[in-house]
Formats: sequence, structure tokens, C-alpha cells
Amino acid sequence: MGAPFDITYVFGYLPKLLSTLGMTLLIVGGSLLVGIVVGFLIALPRLYRIPMLNTLARIYVSFFRGTPILIQLFLFYYGLPEILKLAHLDISKAPVLVFVIITYGLHTGAFMSETIRASVTAVDRGQVEAAYAVGMTSYQAFTRIMLPQAMAIAVPVFSNLVIALLKDTSLAFSLGVMEMTGKAQTLGSLTQHFIEAYISLALIYLVVSMTLEKLLLIAERRLLRHEETDSTGHRRFRLEQKSSYRRMVASVDAGKGGTEV
Amino acid sequence: MIQLTNITKSFGRHQVLNKIDLTVQKGEVVVILGPSGSGKTTLLRCVNYLEKPNDGEILIGDYRLNCKHASKKDIYQLRQKSAMVFQQYNLFKHKTALENVMEGLVVVKKLSKEEAKTRSIALLEKVGLGSKLDAYPSQLSGGQQQRVGIARALALEPEVILFDEPTSALDPELVGEVLAVIRKIAKEGITMIVVTHEMGFARDVANHVVFMDGGVIVEEGTPVELFNNPQEERTKQFLKRITPELNYSI
Amino acid sequence: MKLDPSFIWTALIQLLSAIPTTLVITAVSVTIGFIIGLITALLRIYKIPVLSQIAAGYVTFIRGTPMLTHLLLIYFGLPMLVDALSAQFGWSIKSSSIPMIGFAFISFSITAGAYMAEVIRSGLLAVNRGQLEAAYSVGMTTPQALRRIVFPQALAVSLPNLSNSVIGMLHGSTLVFTVSVVDINAKAQIVASTNWKFFEAYLAAAVIFWGLTLLIERITAVIEKRINLYNRGGVA
Repeated sequence: MGAPFDITYVFGYLPKLLSTLGMTLLIVGGSLLVGIVVGFLIALPRLYRIPMLNTLARIYVSFFRGTPILIQLFLFYYGLPEILKLAHLDISKAPVLVFVIITYGLHTGAFMSETIRASVTAVDRGQVEAAYAVGMTSYQAFTRIMLPQAMAIAVPVFSNLVIALLKDTSLAFSLGVMEMTGKAQTLGSLTQHFIEAYISLALIYLVVSMTLEKLLLIAERRLLRHEETDSTGHRRFRLEQKSSYRRMVASVDAGKGGTEV
Repeated sequence: MIQLTNITKSFGRHQVLNKIDLTVQKGEVVVILGPSGSGKTTLLRCVNYLEKPNDGEILIGDYRLNCKHASKKDIYQLRQKSAMVFQQYNLFKHKTALENVMEGLVVVKKLSKEEAKTRSIALLEKVGLGSKLDAYPSQLSGGQQQRVGIARALALEPEVILFDEPTSALDPELVGEVLAVIRKIAKEGITMIVVTHEMGFARDVANHVVFMDGGVIVEEGTPVELFNNPQEERTKQFLKRITPELNYSI
Repeated sequence: MKLDPSFIWTALIQLLSAIPTTLVITAVSVTIGFIIGLITALLRIYKIPVLSQIAAGYVTFIRGTPMLTHLLLIYFGLPMLVDALSAQFGWSIKSSSIPMIGFAFISFSITAGAYMAEVIRSGLLAVNRGQLEAAYSVGMTTPQALRRIVFPQALAVSLPNLSNSVIGMLHGSTLVFTVSVVDINAKAQIVASTNWKFFEAYLAAAVIFWGLTLLIERITAVIEKRINLYNRGGVA
């Protein structure tokens, strides 16, 4: 199967693959934007328990967490034009990239809404009461007290969602989008040096996801300044610092799948 | 003056407050006593509108609010007349001690940052935390956090400060420092309503003591009247259960 | 192309035959993954020199790269390795004798192992230190304390995450189409293209996966109820 292993190909492929990194990051960025908007839209009816919409939001989250992203990609690629045709909208000529970003966006939105919901719920009720007690309006209490604290709680999970999304974009090739994985496949079949192409590919993903993780860790540190205790009064034995333990728990929680809502 | 009239509150079928009337004069320190579940904390939270009374009227200073027809705006207005010190401190976790005190001044009272800062530092010094301005709540002991909470309440210069069991979440050795601060500000003539289990404190500091049970005020009077000569059977029972510790202390 | 609702049902029936393949791949990768994960987690918690660094590197690499690349690396790399070793030592094993599904088993187990290592590690770390000390104080050895006290509690803590890992592997198993194994997804592809009814076929596949996912969650909830009996809070 293929040509004998030659390490020089691994390095030779790196720049060629990097030329398509932009496409991968475009998909990540685009779907993240869609995902954040969708996430809020889905989280709000659940946080405020709006009847009907609440149920719809639950079904939405359950579906997107309950089915594989690969199936979702095909489903929306083939299905969305059909559904929109009923509303007299013709998008069958739209570029594939649009479908890809919409699908990843809707998928991420489901996970995002759960993150938003969990973080807002995790903020201590007393914080809002204290805000009211000093005379803040509910809008002030939300933006000045709730949101900053909820964001700090959400960042580690958010960070994992971004990395999961990055990895999921490797499936976009199945609809023919020429992102990094697609490029690696093309390079492999051109030269028959498959394994070198995929090693190269894996290395780039690794570096990108580690970089993203670092960046988000810096953001988290900033948001969590207030929690850096001098570690007195820790009753529980912890092998790691509080924040890193939180991260780990968060990273585990964000595991793909799960419709539990 | 604070005047509560006919305050009624129920959670579902459970009636927690039953037509409470209470008047607090300016500069008075009122202590509310009572067994747990008597409704004393709920009453306090109603004054700050953290609980919405089903019926009744609240007058604080010159602001009168009918609980049946309270709009959002009315509630914000009323809240600005009072401040609250919580059992669990409830300091804003993502803000330093100084920022906690400044927050209300900047956001609600619309003071300039400079002015708010000067005032907040002075208050934190007053409660003995001049050296902890930049500490986050997680870096402070319970007693220190509660003193920041008191400074935060004082900063708003409210008509009345409401204390909801301010020392009951504290380790015993930290209770003293917090009570000392409350005593100090009580002497300055600030109107206070305090829910507490600290009988010694109630005896020393209160001008007026209220005993609640089962959602009603059973008895009220001066500390001397209420502690030394209670009229109602329920009050006697309650005091008998609590006071033995007073006997040692003398 | 027009929507044909009745074909969704037809497709659903045809896809049923592929469910066992999907389930077998999931079950194998989860089981072997759990064993790999447990070993990896223990290596890291006890900070065994060299091995714990290797374990950390393994977890970082797998979690930092897409599952698809793991599969492709194994699919193209393993035969090379096997053939090279066979030539070297004169073994009779040939790479062509590895069944396609074997690549999926190996690669997905490696993937699952890294994710489960983190699940298990966080579960173990969540167990209060006092529990271990109490076990020692009644005279247990470390293995006894781990097996009888720490693991059961850690398992209870990590159950939701383990369940998520299982679901993740179930969904991830759709990647086997790249190595020509016919699971639910690949079957949907076949049904779709032979009948030219893509939307209906994938809708049927989505319904099956959704159902399987809900089933896993239901089972988890039942197990959770059982093992968390001790954990019921409150005073009542």
C-alpha cells in the first residue's frame, strides 16, 4: 500500500497543508459565530422557562447532541435546500462552504447553549440578590455581576468546544471542501505517500489546538483573577491547582455526545 | 422612619408572614428574634424587596410603596432607601474589596470614580480593612468579608441597614470583630434592623426588640422589658432555651 | 429531487442491518479504551517516572488531533509497520490479513483510551483524600483501598462522563466509511446513492443514532440510580 516511508515528505507537506489552514480556521471562526448566536437564542427560553419555546429548545439540543456530526453534515447538505424550497427560497446554488458553516454552527450552538445555561445557573443566587440590595436594576445586575462571573465559569468549557470544533472540521472534506484533511488526502493519493501526509496533518492539528488552548487559558486566567486564593482553607485534597482541576473537569464534561438536557 | 403595615407573604399555601405591622424610628436599632422558620428573615428580605410581599405597605423615609401595585421602577426606588448585609456575605466574587464597596456608588448613585474611591477607602478603613483594599473575597476570612459587606452597605448612605444574621456563618472566633463593627456604627445613630441569635448583642445594642414566631410578632418592647419580663408564654419558652449561655457570661 | 416521506421508512428498515456493526465497533473501542484509560490514568496520578510523561504525551496528542487522523494513521501506518517487522524477523503475518474492521477497532480503542484516561483521572481526583486515609486507618493495603473504596466512588462520579464518552465513540464510529466498513452511516450512503434519495436516507440514519443515544442515556440513568444510592443527600 503506497510508497515506502520517507520522512522528508512529512516536512515537504507541511507548507502545502498550511496553505489550507486558512480554510479550516474560516470554518471554525464562522461556525463559532453562528454557534454563539444560536447558543444564546436556545439558552434564553430555557433559562427563563418560556413554555413551548423551552420544549423546542430541548428537542433542538437533544437532536444535535444525539446524532453524529457527519450525519448532520449530509442531512443539511441534502435537506436544507429541500426545506427552504417550501419557503420559496432557492439555495441549491449556494457554495458548499455555506452549508458546512451552517451545520457546524447549529451543532456547536447546541453545545454552546448548554454551556451558557450551566454557567449562568452556576452563579450563586446571592450575587444577584446583593446586586439588587445595592440598588441595581436587573439589567445592571445581569451585565455587571452575572455575566462576568458566568463567563469565567464558561471559558474552560468554551475552550474545549472550540477545540472539538476544530477537530470536527476534518469531516468537511466529505462534502468536498478543500480544507486541511481534504488537502492531505489529495496530496497522499497524488504521491502515494499517505502516511507522511497524515503525520504532517496530525502535527498541524496538534499545534493549532495547543495554541488555541493556550490562548483561551490566558483569557481564563484573566477572568478568574478573583479566584486565585492563597490556598488557605482548602479542605479538600487536590493534586492540582483549583483552576486547572476545574479545567480538567470541564474538558471532560464537554465530551461530545450526550443529549441529557 | 420605617413603617411596615400589614405585610403578608406566603410561599404557595404556606403563610410565612401574617399581617405584620412594625415601626422603626430614625436612629433606632431594632433586633428581631425568633426561632428558625418564624419568618424573621423573610420579613427583612421584604423590606429590601428581595421577597415580594403579597400585600401590605412599606414606608422608608419619605418613600411609600404599596406592595399590591409595585412597578419595577418603584421597587428600584425603594431598594435605594435601604441596604442589606447578608448571612453569606454575598460579596461580588469577581471584584476586590474596594470595588465591592465602589460598585453601588458608581453604578447606582452615579458618583464619579474618584469620589467613589475616596469614600470607599474611608469606609474600609473605618471597618478596619484599610490594608485589604485590593484583596478578592476569596482571599479574605469570613469576618473580613462580612466587614466589607457592612462597608458596602454603609457606602450607600441608606435610611436603614438590614442585617440578616450577619454572624451566623462565621467561625466563633471571628464573630467578635464583626459585632464590634456593628456596635460602632450603631452608636453613630444609623438606623438598623438586625436579625440575629446573639442575645448579648441584642441586649447591649438594641433600642427595641421584636420577638416573632409563626409569621406574627408575638411581643415587642425594650430589651429590658422583653428579656427580664416577657409577657407571652412563647417568648418565655424561647428565651429559656437560649439564655443559659448568658448566665455563664456574667 | 422531491421529498418522499415513505422512503424514510424504507431506508430505516434497510439500515437496521448495519446497526450491529456500529454497536460492535462502539463496544470494542469503549471496552479496550477503558482498560487503556485506567492504566494511563493511574500512571499519571502516581507520577511514575517516564511512563507518566509518555501517558501525558499520548493523551495530549490524541485529544489535540481529530479522530479521523488516528484512523487514517493506523490504516496506512500499521500495515507498513507489520510488513517491515515481518520481513525483519521472518514472521508469517502479512498486513493484508488484517480485516478492515480491525483497523477501526485498534484506532478507535486508542482514541477512546485517551479520552477515558481523563474521565477516570478526574473521577479519581474527585474522591476525597479522607476516604483513602480512612481505608488505611482500618488497615487496608493500597490496592485494597483503591479497589474497595476509591474506585467505586470514582466510578459513581465519572459515570455521566463515561456515558458521554460512549456516546462520543458511537458517533465517532461513523468515520469507518473511510476504511470501507459498512456501518449505519456507510449503509445510508449506499441506500441514498442507489435510490437517489439522500435526504431521506440520512434522516433515517439520524433517527437511529438519536434513538441509540437516548437509549445509552436511559441505561446510564438507571445505573446511576443504583450506584448512587449511598450518595443521596439530605436528611430525610
